[in-house]
Amino acid sequence: MRLGVRIKLGARRMAILTSAVLALAACEREERSTRVDPPVAAALDAVAVMPNGIGGRPPEVHAALGKPYRSNAYQLSQGKQLYEWFGCQSCHADGQGGSGPSLIDGWWEYGPDLVSIYVSIRDGRPHGMPSFRNRLTNDQIWQLAGYIQVLGAYSADTAAPSRSDRPQTRPAENRAPATMAPH
Amino acid sequence: MSSDARPRGLRDHQLDDAAGAEALERTWRTPSGWRGFFTTVDHKIIGRRYIVTAFIFLALGGILGLVMRLQLAWPEARYLDPDLYNQIFTMHGSNMMFLFAVPVMEAMGVYLVPLMVGTRNIAFPRLNAFSYWIYLAGGLLLWISFALGMAPDVGWFAYVPLSGPQYGAGKRADIWAQMITFTELSALAVAVEIVVTVLKQRAPGMSLDRMPLFVWTMLVTAFVIILAMPAIMIASTSLILDRLVGTHFFNPAEGGDVLLWQHLFWFFGHPEVYIIFLPAVGMISTILATFSRRPVFGYEPMVLALVGTALLAFGLWVHHMFTTGLPRVAEGFFTASSMAIAVPSGLQIFCWIVTLWYGRPVYRTPLLYVLAFFFTFIIGGMTGVMVASVPLDTQLHDTYFVVAHFHYVLIGGAVFPLLGAVHYWFPKITGRMPSERLGRWSVALTFIGFNLTFFPMHLLGLQGMTRRIYTYQAEMGWGGLNLFVSLSALVLAAGFLVFFVNLGRAARHGEPAGDNPWGAPTLEWATASPPPPYNFAMIPVVRSAHPLWDDEEVLPVASGLRVDRRELLVTRVTDARPEARESSPRNSIWPFWSAVATTIMLISSIFTPWAVVWGAVPIAIALTFWFWPRGMPEEES
Repeated sequence: MRLGVRIKLGARRMAILTSAVLALAACEREERSTRVDPPVAAALDAVAVMPNGIGGRPPEVHAALGKPYRSNAYQLSQGKQLYEWFGCQSCHADGQGGSGPSLIDGWWEYGPDLVSIYVSIRDGRPHGMPSFRNRLTNDQIWQLAGYIQVLGAYSADTAAPSRSDRPQTRPAENRAPATMAPH
Repeated sequence: MSSDARPRGLRDHQLDDAAGAEALERTWRTPSGWRGFFTTVDHKIIGRRYIVTAFIFLALGGILGLVMRLQLAWPEARYLDPDLYNQIFTMHGSNMMFLFAVPVMEAMGVYLVPLMVGTRNIAFPRLNAFSYWIYLAGGLLLWISFALGMAPDVGWFAYVPLSGPQYGAGKRADIWAQMITFTELSALAVAVEIVVTVLKQRAPGMSLDRMPLFVWTMLVTAFVIILAMPAIMIASTSLILDRLVGTHFFNPAEGGDVLLWQHLFWFFGHPEVYIIFLPAVGMISTILATFSRRPVFGYEPMVLALVGTALLAFGLWVHHMFTTGLPRVAEGFFTASSMAIAVPSGLQIFCWIVTLWYGRPVYRTPLLYVLAFFFTFIIGGMTGVMVASVPLDTQLHDTYFVVAHFHYVLIGGAVFPLLGAVHYWFPKITGRMPSERLGRWSVALTFIGFNLTFFPMHLLGLQGMTRRIYTYQAEMGWGGLNLFVSLSALVLAAGFLVFFVNLGRAARHGEPAGDNPWGAPTLEWATASPPPPYNFAMIPVVRSAHPLWDDEEVLPVASGLRVDRRELLVTRVTDARPEARESSPRNSIWPFWSAVATTIMLISSIFTPWAVVWGAVPIAIALTFWFWPRGMPEEES
């Protein structure tokens, strides 16, 4: 009897907790911050990269913000716009790759984690990947990095962007996976 | 005598008045408590619920309007950021159009039409219950998403490509589109009920030319809904498919068309204005007749103007799209048709003026609201003719001139008559009289506040202030007028507050109204206030267009309906000759569960297309229980 009551209470608390978490998750996915405070923007660059330039520790402020660049629909769609505006397509096409490597085949030459992608865009990589340090702000590089990770994800995310109003070359990001992993 | 000792098939003429009323009460009543709350199919309870819910949405939408006015009162104010401002103007528009204006007009029909045609319940009462729950779910979806900071932010007509997959990030536009699906579902359901109720359940003798004008307007409105709503249903579904599944309805690069959205939306959106306005026309005719103490002048022209307006309403949607670069011929055609709508509208206005002229007007609150309507709506109509001309519209498109115009038409043309109508029928609905003193205050405050708020917006629009901007620079020189508008909005809000206070107080402490406090001619005043669950102890027989004026002494009645089960009279479409006794459905919980299942399916389908497949299973189960046959004959000739 006592146990039953406790379970019931627990269930109710769980229900309240779950709905609160869901509500918060919903908020974070949909929140739109159009301008990052300058100290936050500066702190976003504080990545600690491993000596070989692959992998490392993300800036503490990213976690403190709630990792918006990977889970927030608005930030991801901004990343997608930057992908088109800054000519990523000229080498990577819509992710399939061309003169640059594919971003959707599951093979990451410099690691699949956000920090590696961030560093690739910020500093560039050998064999033609240019540095975008002086062309994009820190938070824009994060937006682009988050989008590229979503682009190559194997399961679709509800926050992922949908198709573009252009001729289609692959299924939309929210209909992933676009390509199977290489053999 | 217990109920099971009664012989089956007991008819009302076999009992005396008191016993008959008692038996009818037992058959038709709604159980008290939660069970009754969720199972009721009584059109009066559901109609009342609809009206109250819609007015709550009106108040919420009004608060959003005030918040926007706060932000715009000064140049470069910092109360709202652009994202929140976008959400708020979208919420304000969507809420007022889809959750207030259309549902409240239908709600008045749900409550009044069965009473006015002298029947005991609306046709398809369970569908009616279902439609309310669906409407409520749509409203909650929109407002909960707003509370979570993920409300739609693409404007109330959600143009693609802004609302499309590329630019409408997140789930905001999907929430808007699905809210539309909810409201169109409930609107279509109510429209079907009203058409059938009006055509097949009129009291014996109420031929088409004896129908009250309000019933005519509801019938015409219901047909407009049935013809217009499918367009928006296609539009909102295509939008969700584009966004979620990646179809290309609105993607020109793959053979879709961006303008297709605007055509589909306004093919619904323009008739929607008349879905809101036509019931108001019926309310005005009803109030005018009662308070002028004479029938409305020109019954046939009024009905023809009504039908003419409804037909023309489908031929002028393109005037919302004059700046999209359409062919000249199309622009000319739709300018002409837009101006043509002034003919039936003007005809109605003149009929009303003649009615007032030759009547002996009694200036009570409802009539004062109608007078406020005349002044406001005529200004709105004239600015309408202005924006119907292409050169002027090209200049004024998306400015505050347009904002002023449609508020004049919608508030002046529909909300003032509606407030008057609520005041007018309030004694019937609650059995108590609202205060005349407070009523006059509310008319004065809303009328003056409205004109002071919205007239300056014409000027702001002419000065170039565009709509949907969240702030403006001091150098633009709009600051003074905007501050004046914002202060006037407080007067308007005070008027609405007085209106709500008046009705809230009257509902508890008002003087008892009696059956027919205004001396009105139509059938709803022939029964008690508030009406009993069965509406009429005996079905009235109608011998003229104004039964309570012409049959001053006693209303003739028809008898022979059974009292031990829910029965009503089905009559012929044209002359309302009795055809059959038809059973009316009993209370049921299944419309509620069907609505819950539908809600789960529709909301989940924002996130995954598979929800449509799996969500259909609970809906099918709920519908199966809803329509489970009872093994009883439905009708007897």
